[in-house]
Amino acid sequence: MKRIAIKDLKLFLKDRKTMLITFAIPVALITLFAFAFGGINTGEDDREYTLPITDLDQSEYSKEAILRLDTLKSLKIVEMPLEQARQAVRKGNEDGVLILHKGFADSLRDGGRLPVELQYDQAKEMQIGMLQQSLIPTLSMIPFSTGDVKKSMSRRFDKMMAGSSPKIREEVNTQFDSLFNSVSRGIIPENNANSAFDFGSEIKMTKLVMAKDKSSPNLIQAVAGTAVMMLLFSVAGIGMGLLDEKQEGTLKRLLYSPVNPNKILFGKIISANVISIAQLLIMFVFAGIAFGLDIIRHFPGMLIVILATAYACSAFGVFLASFASTRQQVQGLATLIILVMSAIGGSMIPVFIMPVFMQKLAVISVNYWSIQAFYDVFWRALPITDLTFLSRILILILIGTIMNVVALRMYRKNILRIA
Amino acid sequence: MIHVSNLQKSFGHVQALNGISFNITDGEFYGLLGPNGAGKTTTISILSSILKPDEGEVIISGYNLLKNPVECKNVIGVIPQEIALYNELSALENLMFWGSLYLIPAGTIRKRAIELLQLFGLFERRKDKVKTYSGGMKRRINIAAALLHKPEILFMDEPTVGIDPQSRNLIFEVIEKLHRDGMTIIYTTHYMEEAERFCDRIGIIDNGQIIAQGTLNELKMETSVKEAVVITCELATAGRLNEIISLWKDSKRIDNKAYFYSGKVREDMSKIIQLCNQAGIEILNIEFQKTNLETIFLDLTGKQLRD
Repeated sequence: MKRIAIKDLKLFLKDRKTMLITFAIPVALITLFAFAFGGINTGEDDREYTLPITDLDQSEYSKEAILRLDTLKSLKIVEMPLEQARQAVRKGNEDGVLILHKGFADSLRDGGRLPVELQYDQAKEMQIGMLQQSLIPTLSMIPFSTGDVKKSMSRRFDKMMAGSSPKIREEVNTQFDSLFNSVSRGIIPENNANSAFDFGSEIKMTKLVMAKDKSSPNLIQAVAGTAVMMLLFSVAGIGMGLLDEKQEGTLKRLLYSPVNPNKILFGKIISANVISIAQLLIMFVFAGIAFGLDIIRHFPGMLIVILATAYACSAFGVFLASFASTRQQVQGLATLIILVMSAIGGSMIPVFIMPVFMQKLAVISVNYWSIQAFYDVFWRALPITDLTFLSRILILILIGTIMNVVALRMYRKNILRIA
Repeated sequence: MIHVSNLQKSFGHVQALNGISFNITDGEFYGLLGPNGAGKTTTISILSSILKPDEGEVIISGYNLLKNPVECKNVIGVIPQEIALYNELSALENLMFWGSLYLIPAGTIRKRAIELLQLFGLFERRKDKVKTYSGGMKRRINIAAALLHKPEILFMDEPTVGIDPQSRNLIFEVIEKLHRDGMTIIYTTHYMEEAERFCDRIGIIDNGQIIAQGTLNELKMETSVKEAVVITCELATAGRLNEIISLWKDSKRIDNKAYFYSGKVREDMSKIIQLCNQAGIEILNIEFQKTNLETIFLDLTGKQLRD
C-alpha cells in the first residue's frame, strides 16, 4: 500500500502537465477571480470613478460645487453638455450623469433644496447607489462654502418657524448660530452636518435607461454571459475536430485529394459558424420562451450580435486548434483561456462591478464585446445603425478575422509537418 | 507514367531522401521495399503531393508535380496505411464524401460507390456506421475510398497490415484485378510474399537511396546469397558432417548444421540425404535456404526488413 502510494506520488510529481493543472492553474484563477470581485484590496475601494456632470446653472455656486466634488479622491469629474452625457449613459459608456439644474445658486441663497439630479442606467443601480452615498456628504457641505449660507439658512428657519412665538424663534436662532459655528469650525464633522441641517442631502434619482419589458439587466447578463461562455467551450470542441482529423489520418487523406488545403480549414470555419449560430439562437429563443426575453422586438439587432459573436468565437476555436498539436493540449489550453476570458469579460460577473483595471482588461476578451452588444440590443435598445453598437460588432468581426488569419498561417505551417 | 529524378528531402539535419530516381511505366506494379526510416513514406508523401521535395523532379502522367499538383492529384489514388475514415458515417456516406472531393457528379459517385461496395463484399452493410465494422472491413472501405475517381495510378502503403485472412484474400483479388485492368500501382509492404506475388519490379530503398531495383530475378542475380540445402543432425553424429562436407564442392558446417550450396537444391537434396545416411549421420531436420526478397534484402542492406 505504502509503495503504491509512493509510486503514485512520484508519477504525479513527474507529470508537469498534471502539476500545472493541480496547482498553477487554480492559483492563477483564484488570483483572477479575486481581482474581478475586488477582493484583492480589503481596505477602501481605491478605484477612480468617472462621473459626468452637467452644469445647467453655470453660476459661481454651481462651479464651486463641481470643484468640491472634484476634490473627492475616488471621483473623476468630467463636465459634459447634458445631451452628450445622457447619450453616454444610454449607450452604456457611463453609469449616470449628475445634473446641477438651473436655480442651484438661488436655492443655496434661499435655503431651499438643491436642484441636483442623478440620471442613470438602471442596470448600474448598484454603482449608482454607492455613488449617491458618496455624493451626499459633499453636497450637504456646499452651503458652508458660500458666504451667504448663514443668511440662507436663517431664511429657511424663518420659513419653518413662521407660526412660532418670537421667544421660541430667538431660542432656535441662538441654537442654530451655535451649531453653525461648530460645523464651520470643524467641531462637528462634515458628515454630520447633513443630519444637523438637512440641506443638500437629497438628490433626485431618475432612471434614464430602464426596463421596458421583461428584459431585466440581470436576465440579459445571465443569458448573454452564459451563452457566450458555453459557445466558447463548444467551438473549442469543434476546433479539436481538426486535430482529431489529423490524429486519425483523415486530414492527410483530405490532402491527398485535389482540394486546396486552405479550403479544408475554411470548411471547418464554416461548420463552426453554423453550429455557433444555431447554438446562440437556441439559447436566446429559450430565454425568450422561458424567461420572457423580448427577442421578437429586438430580433434584427440580436441576429447581428449572434452572427458577429459566432464568427469571433468559432475563429477562437480554430485558432486554438491551429496552435496545438494534440486534442489533450487544446483541452487544457481551452479550459484555461475560456475561464479567464469569461471571468474578465463579464460572463461570470458583470464587468461594471469589477475594479477599473479589470474593466480595462476586459476589452481583450470576446465575451466583453459580445455581452456589451447584447446589452445594447436588449437593454439600451440602441438602433442597429447606432455607432456604439456597430463599433462593438466591428470589434467582434475584427477579433474573429485576426484569429482566422493567424489560424490559417499556423495551419499551413502545421500541414507541412503532417507527412 | 511516373518519372522520379534526384529526389532530395531533409528534415533538419536528417537527410530523409538522398537522390532517389526511378521510372515506372504505364500499368506497371512497382514495389517499394525498405526498413522503417528508409524513406518510403517520404517518397510516397512527395509523390502524392503533400510534401515538397528540397530538390528533384517528379512527372506524373505528363504533369510536373510541383507545377501542376491538382492535375497530378486527379490521376492518383492513395491508400494510406492508417484507416482514414469517418467512423460515425456509414460506408456509403464515407464513399460519397471522399468521392465528392474529386468534383464528380453525385449520381456518378453513388453508382461507383455501390460498384466498389459490391466488389469488396460490403454492399449489404453499406448503411452501417463504419465504427461497427471489423478491422478487415474497415480496411476494405479504406481501399475503396481511394478508387472512387478511377485513378490511373494507385499508391498503396501497407494496405494489408493487421487484417484477417478473409479480408486479405479479398484485397489480394481486388489488387490483382486492378493490375489486370491496367492500373499503375506503387506498393509498399513489409510482407515479402506480397511483393513477390504482385510486383513486376521492386525498388529496395535504404538510407534515402534506392540501392537496387529490378524484377525479382534481376535482384537475385545481383545478390551474393546462394540457395542451399541445410541439414541439421544429432550432436552425437555432428562430427561426421565433416566427411560429407569434404565431398561437396561448395559447403560449410556450423555446429550441427551443414550448408550444401547448389544451383538446383531440389534435385541435389536426395543426393545429400544419401550421403548423410552413408556416413551414419542422424538427420533431425532438412530445409531449403532460398534466395528470396528477405535474403536479398538482408544481403543488400544488412538489415531485416522489419528493422
